[in-house]
Amino acid sequence: MWNERMEERIRQRVATALWIGIALFVVLSARLWYLSVLRGEWFRERSERNRVRVVFLEALRGNIYDRRGVCLAEDVPRFRLVFLVGSSEEELVMKRVREVLGRDIAFSLRERAPGELVLLEDLPLEDVVKIEENSERLPGVLVEVYPARKYRDGEIAASLLGYVGKVSSEELKALGKMGYRNEDRIGKSGVESFYESLLRGEEGYRRVEVDALGRVVQVLDFRSPRFRYSLQLALDWELQKACYEALGRRNGVVLVGDPATGEILAFVSKPSFDPNLFSRGLSLKEWLDLLEQKSNPLLARPTQALYPPGSLFKILIALAALEEQVVTSRESFFCPGYLEYGDRKYLCWRRGGHGRVTFEEAIAESCNVVFYTLGLRLGPERIARYARMFGFGQDAHLDLPGVKTGFFPTPEWKREALKEAWYPGDTVNLSIGQGYLLVTPLEMYLFLCAVANRGKVYDPHVLWRVLDENGRVVREVKPSLRRTIALRSQTWDTVIRGMEKVVTQGTGFNCRGLPVKLAAKTGTAQNPHGKEHSWFGGFFPSDRPKFVFLVLVEHGGDGSGEAALVARKVVEWILQNRGV
Amino acid sequence: MRREYLFVLVTLCLCILGIVAVYSVDPLRDEGFGPKSFFGRQILWNVVGWALFLLFRFFDFQWLFRRSWLWYLLSVFSLGAVLVFGESDETGAKRWLFSRSVQPSEFAKLALLFFLSSYLSTNRDELDFWSLLVKSAFFAAVPALLVFLQPDLGTALVLGVLWFGALFLGGWHRRKLGLLLGLVAGLSPLSWFIMKDYQRKRVLAFLDPWQDPLGSGYNVVQSQIAIGSGGVLGQGWLSGKQTQLRFLPARYTDFIFAAFCEQFGFVGGMVLLTLFILFFWIVLETAQRVGNLEERFFASLFGILFLFQVGINVGMNLGIAPVTGIPLPFVSYGGSSLLVHLAGAGMIARLIWRTEQEERERWI
Repeated sequence: MWNERMEERIRQRVATALWIGIALFVVLSARLWYLSVLRGEWFRERSERNRVRVVFLEALRGNIYDRRGVCLAEDVPRFRLVFLVGSSEEELVMKRVREVLGRDIAFSLRERAPGELVLLEDLPLEDVVKIEENSERLPGVLVEVYPARKYRDGEIAASLLGYVGKVSSEELKALGKMGYRNEDRIGKSGVESFYESLLRGEEGYRRVEVDALGRVVQVLDFRSPRFRYSLQLALDWELQKACYEALGRRNGVVLVGDPATGEILAFVSKPSFDPNLFSRGLSLKEWLDLLEQKSNPLLARPTQALYPPGSLFKILIALAALEEQVVTSRESFFCPGYLEYGDRKYLCWRRGGHGRVTFEEAIAESCNVVFYTLGLRLGPERIARYARMFGFGQDAHLDLPGVKTGFFPTPEWKREALKEAWYPGDTVNLSIGQGYLLVTPLEMYLFLCAVANRGKVYDPHVLWRVLDENGRVVREVKPSLRRTIALRSQTWDTVIRGMEKVVTQGTGFNCRGLPVKLAAKTGTAQNPHGKEHSWFGGFFPSDRPKFVFLVLVEHGGDGSGEAALVARKVVEWILQNRGV
Repeated sequence: MRREYLFVLVTLCLCILGIVAVYSVDPLRDEGFGPKSFFGRQILWNVVGWALFLLFRFFDFQWLFRRSWLWYLLSVFSLGAVLVFGESDETGAKRWLFSRSVQPSEFAKLALLFFLSSYLSTNRDELDFWSLLVKSAFFAAVPALLVFLQPDLGTALVLGVLWFGALFLGGWHRRKLGLLLGLVAGLSPLSWFIMKDYQRKRVLAFLDPWQDPLGSGYNVVQSQIAIGSGGVLGQGWLSGKQTQLRFLPARYTDFIFAAFCEQFGFVGGMVLLTLFILFFWIVLETAQRVGNLEERFFASLFGILFLFQVGINVGMNLGIAPVTGIPLPFVSYGGSSLLVHLAGAGMIARLIWRTEQEERERWI
C-alpha cells in the first residue's frame, strides 16, 4: 500500500545503500592497503621471480692429455631441448614440437629445476635447425648447449681414465655443500674420479627476463661455464694402444712404467668398456648388462683384481734367501722332479726334473724344487718380513680410486682366521707364489720396479702435470721415494742375472733374441676356475732399467706362452718406437 | 561547486584514467593512434559514449520509462538471438552479435533497470507484496537465464542483484528479504552440481589460489602480484613487469584494476576507488532528491548496479571476490559497457540538473 510510511522506508533504503557502498569502499581500500603497502615487498619479490629465470650452465671439465699432448678426454658440445613451463599453452606447444620434429617425443619428461623440463637430450643437428627455424611458434622451448664427455678410442684406456655420469643422490648428499647440482656430471671412476676436484670447472649461468609465455625478453646477465685445470698424464697413448692391441682377444693386464720416476706409461685392463656410453646416458638395461657380464669389464684389473702371483714370487724368495745367506750364488741343487718333505711329495712343474741346477739356473728354469727348499730354509716369518719390506699387502699410493691391496698370509693370520697351525706345506706353496697368497697386478709391477731399481721404490703415479686454462704448467708431479730396500748389491746382481737367464736360456724363451738385455720372469698362477693365469714381467735394459713391464693373461696357460708373447710385442714396440 | 559539475568531472576522470590504463596495456600502442589499437577504439567509444551522455543530459528521457516493456522485450529477443546466431569469444562463450561488436547482455542491464523501475512504480500499491515479488522475479529471471546460458555467470549475477536491489529499494520488509537471501544461500551449494568444470575450478581457486598458482589460480595470483608489486607509489606508467610482460591475464578488461595499480600503486588505486565512491555517492544523493518514484528507483538502482560491478571487479582483482567476467565501469576496455554506463550517467546528470533547478525554484 502506497503511503507516507512506505515513501519514508524507500528513502531510508537509499540511505542504507549509501552506507553499504561506503562500507565496501572501506573494505576494498583496506585490502588494497594490505596488498600493496603491507605486503608490497613480498609481492615485488614474487614478481621478480616471475620474470627472471636463472638457467645454470653446466661446468666444463678439463681435458685429459697423454704425456705427448694427445687429447684423451674432452668436453664436446651437445644440444638438448628444454621447455620452460608456466605458459598456458603447454599442450599446444608440445603438439607443435612433435609436428616440427616430425616424430613422437617419448613423454619421459624430466624436471631439471622447478618449471624447466628437459624434453630431449643429445639432439641431432638437423633437429636443432628445425627448432630454431620455428622458434617463433614455440614459446618456452629452448635449445640449450651442454657439454658431453668424449673419450678418444673409448675402450683403450677406460679403466684408467674412468667415466663421468650424473651425480647420484647419495653423492649429492655427501657433496651437497661443494656446490653440486642435481644435473651435474661427476667423475665416477679412474682419473675422472680421483682428480674430480681439479677437473671440475665452474658452472656458468644465464639470467634472463621472460614474459608470461616463457619467451626470453632479454638476457640480463651471463657467465659462461669454464674449466680450471687440464691434466697431462704420464701415460703414453701410443704405447697404451700398442699394449691394448698386443693383448689381442685375450683378457688381462699390461702395465708399463718408468721405475726411476714411478710414472705409469701404460695401464691396460681387458675386457674394457666404452666410457662414451656413459656420457650419452646409459639406459638401465645397458647398465645392468655391463654389470652382469661375467668378464666384468668395469673392473680395473691392474688395481682391483686379485690373483696368485705364481712363480713371479720366486724372485722374492731368491732375494730373501741370498740376503739371509741361506744359499750362496754358487750352490747347486738337484731336482728329481719332486721334493719329499714329511710324508708328502711336492712336484716340480717339469715332471722329469731339472737334474742338477745352479741357483741362477733355478731362477731361469723356475725350478719349483729349489724354491721349495729355499722357502723351507727361510721359514714363513722371514718370507713375510721380506714381503713386507717390498710392500706386499700395503697401500700402493697410486693416484687412482679403488686400489686394492693383495693378501699376504702369515702363521699368525692362519692361527687367528682359520684356527689352524701353519704347516710346512703352506710354506712350500707360498715359496712358489701359490696357496693363500694373492696380489694385484700393480703390486707385482711395483715389486718388479723395486728389483729393477735395486731397492728404490717410487710412488707410482698416472698424473704428470696439471695445466691451467691457458695451458701453462701449474704443478708437476715429482718422483717421490716411497721406500729403499737395502740389500747387498751382490744379491741384486745375482737375481737380476738369473732373470736375464730366464730370457736367454730359460722359460722366457718366447722373448729370446731381442736387441736389448732383458730381465724377466714367467709365472703360472693356478686358478681353481679354469686354465691357469699366465704372468710375465720384467724390465730392460737390465743394467740400467728404463722400462718395467708386467703382463697378465687370464687363463693364458703357463707364463712362458701367452703372456711372454704379449710382452714380446710390447717390448718390440717400445724398442722400435721409443728406443732405450 | 555545483553537484552536476562534480559529477561530470568524476565521470570524465574515470573515463580518462580508463584510456590511460588501456593505453598502458595495449600491445599495439606503438603503431600509433588508430582504430586497430585498443586505446584508439576506447577513445572512439568514449566519443560516442559522451555524445550519448549529452543527448540524455539535454533531452528528456521520460519516454524511456513509458516504453520500458519494449526495451525489455527487445533485450530478451536479442539475448535469444545471441544464443542462436551469436559469435563465440576466446573462452568459447557466445556473447556477441554483429561480428563481435555488440554485447547484448550489457544493454540488457539497462533494459532491466528501466523495466523494473517502471514496473514497480506503476504497481506501487503492491510494493511489499509477495505477488509482485514473484512476478518481478519472473521478469528478471528470463534475461538472467538467457545470459546464464551463454554462459556468462557474472552478468547473470548482475541481473539477479539488480532485481534484489529493486526489492530492497522498493521497500519490501526486512523479513521477506532476509527469507529470500536465506533461501538463496541455502540453495547455492546445489549450484555446484550445475556448474561447469571451469566454474568449479574458479570457485576452488578463489578459496585458495596459491594451491595451483600456474593453473586455475593463475589469474588471482598474478593479479595480486601485480597489485602488490606496485607498492605505495607504483612502478610508473608503462612500466610494471606483470603487465608489460603479460603475466597478468585479461589486462584490458577484467584485470585492468590490477594493471593500473601496478603502475600507479596504492595511491593510484585509492584515486580510482575514491572516484568510484564519489560517483556512487552523487548518484544515490540524487536518488534521494528526485520526487518522482520511477526516477528515484532508476537512479538508486543504477547506483547499486554500479556499486556491485565495481565491488565484484575490484574485489576479484584484490583476491577477495571470485573471478567472474564483470568489467570495471568506465575503465575496462569495451564499447558496450562504456556506452551503457555513459548513457546512464547522462541521465543521472539530467536528474541532478533538474533537482538542482527545482530546489532553486523552491527557494525563490
